Order: sequence, then structure tokens, then C-alpha cells
Amino acid sequence: MGLPLTPDASLLTASDSLEVGMEIYVLVKQVPDPEAIIKVKSDLELEIENKYFTSFFDEIAVEAGLKLKEKFGGKVTVLTLDNRRVDALRRGISMGADEAVQIADPAFEGSDQFAVARTLAAYLKDKPFDLILTGRQAMDDDAGIVGPGVAECLGIPHVHSIISLEVDVQGREAKVTREVENGKEILTCPLPALFTCQKGLNSPRIPQVMNVMKAMKAQIKKVDLASLGLGPADVGSQALRVKVQKYLPPPKRPPVKMIKEDFPENVKTLVKLLREEAKVI
Amino acid sequence: MALDFSFTEEQEFFRQTVRDAVNRLIMPRVKELDEKEEFPWDLWKEFAGLGYLGLRHQETYGGMETDTITQMIFYEELARGSCGFAMSAIMQILMGTYFIARFGNEEIKQRILVPAIKGEKIGTICFTEDQSGSDLGGTRTLATKVDGGWRINGRKQWITNGPIAEFTTVMATVDPKLGLKGLNFFLVEKKTADRDGFVTGQRLHKLGSRCSVTGELVYDNVFIPDENFLGEEIGKGVQYAGEILNEVRVMTGMNALAISKEAMEDARQYANNRVAFGNPISKYQLIREKFAKFWAWYEASRTLLYKCAWMIQSNIPCTNECMLAKYHATEMCMYAVEEGMRIYGGNAFCSEYPVQRFWRDAKFLLYGGGTHEVLCDYLGRIYCKD
Ligand SMILES: Cc1cc2nc3c(=O)[nH]c(=O)nc-3n(C[C@H](O)[C@H](O)[C@H](O)COP(=O)(O)OP(=O)(O)OC[C@H]3O[C@@H](n4cnc5c(N)ncnc54)[C@H](O)[C@@H]3O)c2cc1C
Ligand SMILES: Cc1cc2nc3c(=O)[nH]c(=O)nc-3n(C[C@H](O)[C@H](O)[C@H](O)COP(=O)(O)OP(=O)(O)OC[C@H]3O[C@@H](n4cnc5c(N)ncnc54)[C@H](O)[C@@H]3O)c2cc1C
Repeated sequence: MGLPLTPDASLLTASDSLEVGMEIYVLVKQVPDPEAIIKVKSDLELEIENKYFTSFFDEIAVEAGLKLKEKFGGKVTVLTLDNRRVDALRRGISMGADEAVQIADPAFEGSDQFAVARTLAAYLKDKPFDLILTGRQAMDDDAGIVGPGVAECLGIPHVHSIISLEVDVQGREAKVTREVENGKEILTCPLPALFTCQKGLNSPRIPQVMNVMKAMKAQIKKVDLASLGLGPADVGSQALRVKVQKYLPPPKRPPVKMIKEDFPENVKTLVKLLREEAKVI
Repeated sequence: MALDFSFTEEQEFFRQTVRDAVNRLIMPRVKELDEKEEFPWDLWKEFAGLGYLGLRHQETYGGMETDTITQMIFYEELARGSCGFAMSAIMQILMGTYFIARFGNEEIKQRILVPAIKGEKIGTICFTEDQSGSDLGGTRTLATKVDGGWRINGRKQWITNGPIAEFTTVMATVDPKLGLKGLNFFLVEKKTADRDGFVTGQRLHKLGSRCSVTGELVYDNVFIPDENFLGEEIGKGVQYAGEILNEVRVMTGMNALAISKEAMEDARQYANNRVAFGNPISKYQLIREKFAKFWAWYEASRTLLYKCAWMIQSNIPCTNECMLAKYHATEMCMYAVEEGMRIYGGNAFCSEYPVQRFWRDAKFLLYGGGTHEVLCDYLGRIYCKD
């Protein structure tokens, strides 16, 4: 049960609604660990070492959700779309989330960000949410599309890249700050809404081992495509709007160049190289 | 399909979680912790707040009752950070509280184990004396039976957490002539205004693992009540100690894995960047061989250590395997830190680079859980069936 979203819920008194608390969903993604080795296997395929963790901005989103829950009561659910892994869900539970849901289906293979957003929205549309939080972008593809995409599909307001968040539960309004070029912008918007979270909003807690154990044992609810009222044509490679054409590895560090001349020619050569090749002076 | 070397998804998750905590809490401070040579109370409190000190204890006392493999994953990840801090924490988790949890009565467990798991009371174990280390049978600290309890007399040396400990599990003999058969464990707390107890002696300055504080404890005719005798029968202390020796040895091996890996990852980066004779030195075969050798020994060590963890967890007798694993992992680690020093050239010799710290920190692994001379003497004897 969320905040009074439905007309009859407005019959609740103020103290009732506080007891009911906030219904918060956090969209999380597992991304390759910064230490994982990633190789471009072919134009369209990456080989990623089997080391994953929760996208950094998503952890900030979980923390933001937990802080609100601690203040107003309610429930935090972490949600991911991933056929193989649930690391980010376990991370969410270990931080203190109440529930975890994995959306998985072979049909999702090769989905673009819009298909992911559409699917997450399909899951969320009949849920009693007050707030949806997610990271400003995933640490692997840096696309930043899924959050805004979900909000659009659900037809709710969204603010991208927030660095502060206050909720007025009674007034059903949120006040957020985002960084803009050379300054800050303070915005308000009615709930329910979706916010993507930026570094600076909070510093995510380190999980307590008790919750870590809980997360290790947690039963994770699994949801498939059909139960969301979507078909294979809505997701996966059939529904691609954006196609990867080619992956390119970062350029290799050029070999060390030894300057063989003697002084003072070597200084001139060095300056020339710094100016023309390295372009640093 | 009985042979399976994989960690479960849950175990991988646990490892990742501990790793992240170590990266955030400890890694940024390792240099400072080493240089200050002081017990980091702030870090201790923050770390204890996460609950890991109860890793292997019962839930009723605030513990987590994890299995052996999970504990070993924890030790391996923790030691990646500050070895000194890992030493203090592991003392609290394993040796420092084991016998209290095993033999203490309810009142003792409430009074000592519960706050120990919260990190509020620090404990340790005391075997070593000035005249006896490997040779436990030479223990001279004396326990004399008196009305209603015992009197303890002696000095213990090299005690991890000693200078800050509030409670100790002390090995003492009821009669030095009995050798190993005279040994027992007793709970002795620190002396306060209204309780008899031990006092702290000299603090030692160590080569490595420096933020764990180590020192001497003095037991001067300390009276302890009967319930502080930790055991079921007199004379069984060595047998009881044996109950955790396998764990202690594999845990030591896990520390060796962690230190060696950190040292070699660091050396690899250095070797890939350091140019001599026109090439990064990692292009030279003699340098590459160091990494190849390390890699081979490291993988072998890790496999054996986790096999031992699995054997302990499955209640399969594995005393010899655990000795082999501790010995192999520690020697492997000595190789890694030594070669790290060489790969760094002259830079190894200054404190700016971490390589010297790995080298210094690693040395403590040689002594705990049995020196290698003692282990090899025993293992060789077993192997030759003499
Ligand atoms: C950092 C650190 C922390 C410690 N913390 C604790 C603690 O908390 N509690 C505690 O009780 N102790 C602690 N110790 C002490 C440790 O347990 C002892 O150092 C260890 O048991 C070895 O004993 P020893 O130092 O007296 O060496 P010794 O036993 O005197 O050995 C000296 C040398 O003789 C060799 N040797 C001994 N016997 C034989 C034999 N039969 N055959 C061949 N060679 C032999 C040894 O291998 C070694 O090379 C700590 C030590 C260190 C370095
Ligand atoms: C205490 C101390 C005092 C010193 N005092 C002085 C001094 O007073 N004056 C002075 O000039 N210098 C001094 N030095 C520096 C010392 O001479 C150098 O450390 C030494 O020459 C090695 O060079 P390096 O440290 O640059 O190592 P590097 O040459 O960078 O070597 C790094 C690693 O690469 C290996 N390596 C290099 N080339 C090859 C190759 N072709 N094949 C295989 N492996 C290779 C090395 O063996 C080493 O393991 C001092 C050093 C120390 C530690």
C-alpha cells in the first residue's frame, strides 16, 4: 500500500498515511566491476570477465529510497531486468531494501534501453508506487535512457540527475535539486514521480553483515515477459530502435619514444613532440 | 559429478560485499595505519558496527553462524587491506573468543562474548612466553587450584591486541612436569578497581602489521573463580586447541593469498610501466618468469586452501592438509613479496611505494599456526611413516 493515490485513500487521516508510509521502487542494474577485464571480441560482441557489482548511481538511488523509508515508513523494492544476474538486487537487500524482483525472459536478449524501459514500466504500471528512483546512468553503457524512458512510459514527471531530495508526504510533493551549468536548479513536482540520482545526493551505506546474510538467502521474485502483457515483438532484437554497429577498444598506449639526440638537440625534439604529437603545450 | 570448484552466486555476492567494505573503509588508510603504528579505534568502531566480528558465533549472542567457506572468503578479502587490522579483527573473531563461546557459562557469555561481538570489549589468546613459543610443553605460566577458583602466575609475550585487551584466554599449566598434558585454558580479565586480573607489560614495536598492537601481559597471582576454567576436564587444553588449529592454519593461508595477490598486482603495474633498456621491464623473460611462477603457485595454493575449508566444513579430518596448505601458501607469499621487491628495483627500498609494506607485513605469517620448521618436521615424519 502506498500513499493515498486513489480517491478513497484520501479518507485516511494524516497519521494513517504516515503509518502507511511511502511505496518506493528502485531500478537497479548489475554492471561489470571496474576491475573486470573487458575485451572487444568482435564488432558486435564484448567479452566481459565474470565480475559484477551494482552500478554506482543505482546504489545512491537505493540509499535515497532507504532514507525516505526510515523517515516516513513504507517499503523499498529493488527491481532489475537481467536474465542472468541478480547481484544488484542482493546488494539492495543487503543495504536494507524489503523486496527484490527480477524480470527475466529469453526474449530480452539483445534489448535496447527503450525495450528495457518499456518492460520496467509494464511491471510498474499497476503497482501503488509513490516514487521511482534510479541512477542517472549505468556505469557500463552510460546511456542514461532507462530512467527517463520509464517515466515517459508511465506518464509521470521525472527529474534527471538530482543531488538533493525532500518529500512532503502530506502535500504529495517532492522538492529536488539538480546541478546545471555553473549553478543549481531547485524544482518541485507532484508525486508519483521518477528521479534519477547523481553523485552528491548521499553516500551509500556499507551493508551490515546481518543484512548481507539475509540478502544471500533472499528469495528473489522472478517475473517473465508474458505476465507483463508484453510479447516477443516488444523487446529484444525484434524491437531495436538503436542498434550497436561496432565496438571499438580504447586506443592502446603508444610505445615509449626514446629521444636519442644529445643536448641541446634533445630538448628541441622533446618540445616539438610535446607540442605536435602529444599536444600538451 | 562430485568435483565442483565453483563458488555459489551467494558466496560471490558475499565476497563482493566484503571487498567493497574493505575498499571503502580500509584501503584509503593502509599507509597511514602502517605509519602511525597505533590501534585505529575509529576504524574498529566503524567496522565492528557492520557486524563481522560475530561471523562464526551463535545468533543468540549476536553472531551470524556462517559456514567455514564464507568465513575464509571473509579472511581472504579482509587481509587485502591492512594486515595489522585484519590480525586484530581475526583475533577477535576466532582465537580470542572461541574458547569462551565453547566453554563459558551463560553469565560469562553475556558479559564477555556479547560485547566482544559488538567490538566493545577486545580479547585475545595467550600461549607464547619468553621461553616457549613452538614448544607449548615448555609453558611455565602456572595455574594453582585454590578454594573457589584458581590463581594464575606468569607472563605472556607477543600477545596480539594485548595492550588493549579486556579479556584473555590464557594457556597455563597445572604442573610443568606434565608437559603438554598439564595445559589448560583460563579466562582472565584485565585488573580493575574491583576485580583481580592481568596487567599490561611492555608493548612491542613490530616490523609489519603495525596497527595491531602487540605486547606483554603479566599475571601476578591473579585470582579467578572456578567458572573461568575453560574446559570440561583438566589436562585437555592441547586437545581443545587442536579444535581450531585447522581453521587457524587455513585462515593464515587466506591472509597469504591476499597479501601475495596485492603485492603481485602492484608489481605487475609497476613492471608494465617501468621502462629499462627501451622496454617496459615486463617484456623481459626474467621478469615474466616471476609472474608465471607466482601465478602457478598462487592458483595451487588457493585450490588447496579452499579444499581445506570445504573439508573442515564437511567434517572430514584434514589436519595434515591444513598444515600443508598453510605452509605452501605462506611460502608462496614469501616468494611473491620478495620478487615484488626485486621488480621495483631501488624504489622498493623507500616507503613511498607499498611494496616494502607487503614484504614487511607478510613476515608475520611465518610464525602463527606453526613455524615451517616445526610443520615440515612433523609432515616429513608422517610422510616417511617413521
Ligand atoms: C605478529 C605476531 C603476533 C603474535 N600474536 C600472538 C598471540 O596473540 N598470542 C600468542 O600466544 N602468540 C602470539 N605470537 C607468537 C607466535 O605464536 C610465536 O612466535 C610462534 O609460536 C613461534 O614461537 P617463537 O617465536 O617462540 O619461536 P621458537 O619456538 O623459539 O622458534 C625459533 C626457531 O626455532 C625453530 N624450531 C623450534 N622448534 C623446532 C624443532 N622442534 N625443530 C626445528 N626447528 C624448531 C622454529 O621453527 C624457529 O625457526 C605472535 C607472533 C607474532 C610475530
Ligand atoms: C639504498 C640505496 C642507495 C642508493 N644509492 C645510490 C647512489 O648513491 N647513487 C646512484 O646513482 N644510485 C643509487 N641507488 C640506485 C641503484 O643504483 C639502483 O636502484 C639500481 O641501479 C637499479 O636501478 P633501478 O632501481 O632503477 O631499477 P630498474 O633498473 O628499473 O630495474 C627494475 C627491475 O627490472 C629488472 N630489469 C631491468 N632491466 C632488465 C633486463 N634487461 N632484463 C631483465 N630484468 C631487467 C631489474 O633487475 C629490476 O628487477 C641506490 C639505491 C638504493 C636502494
